[in-house]
Amino acid sequence: MMAMPASIPFFEVENLQQTLGGHAILRGVSLSVPSGKTTVVLGGSGAGKSVLLKHLNGLIRPLSGSIKVKGREISDLTEREMTGIRRTIGVLFQDGALFDSMSIGENIAFPQREAGERDEAKIQHRVAEVLTLVGLSGQEAKMPASLSGGMRKRVSLARAIAIKPECLLYDEPTAGLDPILSESITHLISTMKEELKVTSVVVTHNLGAMRLLADQVIFLKDGEVHYAGSPAGLEESEDESIRNFISADAMGRG
Amino acid sequence: MMPVLSSIGSKLLGLLSYLGELALLSADTTSALFSARIRAGITLSQVISIGIGSQVVVMITGAFTGAVFATQAYFKFNELGMASATGPVVSIIMCRELGPVLAGLMVTGRTGAAMAAEIGTMRVTEQIDALRAMGVTPVDYLVVPRLLAILISMPILVGEAIIFGMAAAEIMTVHFFGVPEIWFRTQMLAHTGASDLATGLIKGTVFGAIIVLISCHQGLTTGEGAVGVGRSTTRAVVYSSLAILISNLFLSLMLNRWLPTVSVNL
Repeated sequence: MMAMPASIPFFEVENLQQTLGGHAILRGVSLSVPSGKTTVVLGGSGAGKSVLLKHLNGLIRPLSGSIKVKGREISDLTEREMTGIRRTIGVLFQDGALFDSMSIGENIAFPQREAGERDEAKIQHRVAEVLTLVGLSGQEAKMPASLSGGMRKRVSLARAIAIKPECLLYDEPTAGLDPILSESITHLISTMKEELKVTSVVVTHNLGAMRLLADQVIFLKDGEVHYAGSPAGLEESEDESIRNFISADAMGRG
Repeated sequence: MMPVLSSIGSKLLGLLSYLGELALLSADTTSALFSARIRAGITLSQVISIGIGSQVVVMITGAFTGAVFATQAYFKFNELGMASATGPVVSIIMCRELGPVLAGLMVTGRTGAAMAAEIGTMRVTEQIDALRAMGVTPVDYLVVPRLLAILISMPILVGEAIIFGMAAAEIMTVHFFGVPEIWFRTQMLAHTGASDLATGLIKGTVFGAIIVLISCHQGLTTGEGAVGVGRSTTRAVVYSSLAILISNLFLSLMLNRWLPTVSVNL
């Protein structure tokens, strides 16, 4: 494990265990996500990356273990007690998870209204601002069903940043996209990192994204942390499963 | 023998677990009704969907059930020389049983299925997770407005089913079978009281709450993609219908004691 920073980490996970459908998904995961940095969680399909991510904002309750957000234990909080903490964490879901009964503008306005903003002019100004940031200026009236996969992810990212979160969680932001769109989303996340200076956790199996974004890397294998450290350290690792993962990615890029 | 016992035991445990989840959802929803922000816009759109959208089907069901029931009752009562008893019998049955039960079953088929499918689709496409991730409790946003809407709509729908059923019964009895209108109306009004109407409205309100809680629970616990949504929708309709029919017996026993039918000295 990498050394703990002096300041309080944004997330601190200790001995996290989870089973789903009788199968062990996470087996004693421990990690620390420093504030203001980008942590990339790598691993193959079924390694437990997305399940781990959903534990960080309490969408899944741990079977055992501890999860702290800015020093506060969240594993025993009720759904209602989690409300305040969740409003500081934006999430980009794998398929966007846009509300399909609302237009793009309404989707982005929704978290602002739920956070208590009542000034409609302010809400609409922020909607336009974040849509410009993700390169979809003027698309407020479109419905989610009419968007491509890449556009859905951009809108989902705009919605996630609309209430100025302290942290952003990205669940497989490049999954299901062609290489060009995938690179464009990765660059967008990089822009968010530079402009918003938020703590970020990016779950991906895309090494290109890891190289561009990561301050630290967590490599998961079979529900366990197999590597935690710098991106350069991962690339130089002699561990067989990491080497296999890196070479499979290189062959995929081919 | 052991596998059979084991299977029965596991089904019983499953039933208990399901009832426990339903009780927790009911408690959470009741608490949210009094503590959470009421979303007037969503509640109003649900009133339109449940209340206004279900009117035609409930009116047709009430009318034809009243007509058929009056027809069967008339044939038998006429044999006994009691044709004028058709009105009171139809009226009491429509108010106390058929009005609320049929309105409940129609709303289950139309609205309960839609609720389970809509919330289930939101669940499998991570929209429920997105709500939670934004600090919005799904019970507050999805269940409470639907419950409020059905509590407003069901008494109106039950009232309409009763009125249309009784009107159709009068058309059949008076205009088709020739029972004098004055007999039909006098006897019907003499034997039907506010307690009968109140029984129907109370039952309808309870059935409405049952439909929303069961259907929303099915939607919120949907799994396994499109297949899961289909299963949840089917279960919502089947479980709600069964719950309405079973709870109707207990409500009838209770309400007949608390709100007895009008006593008439002949």
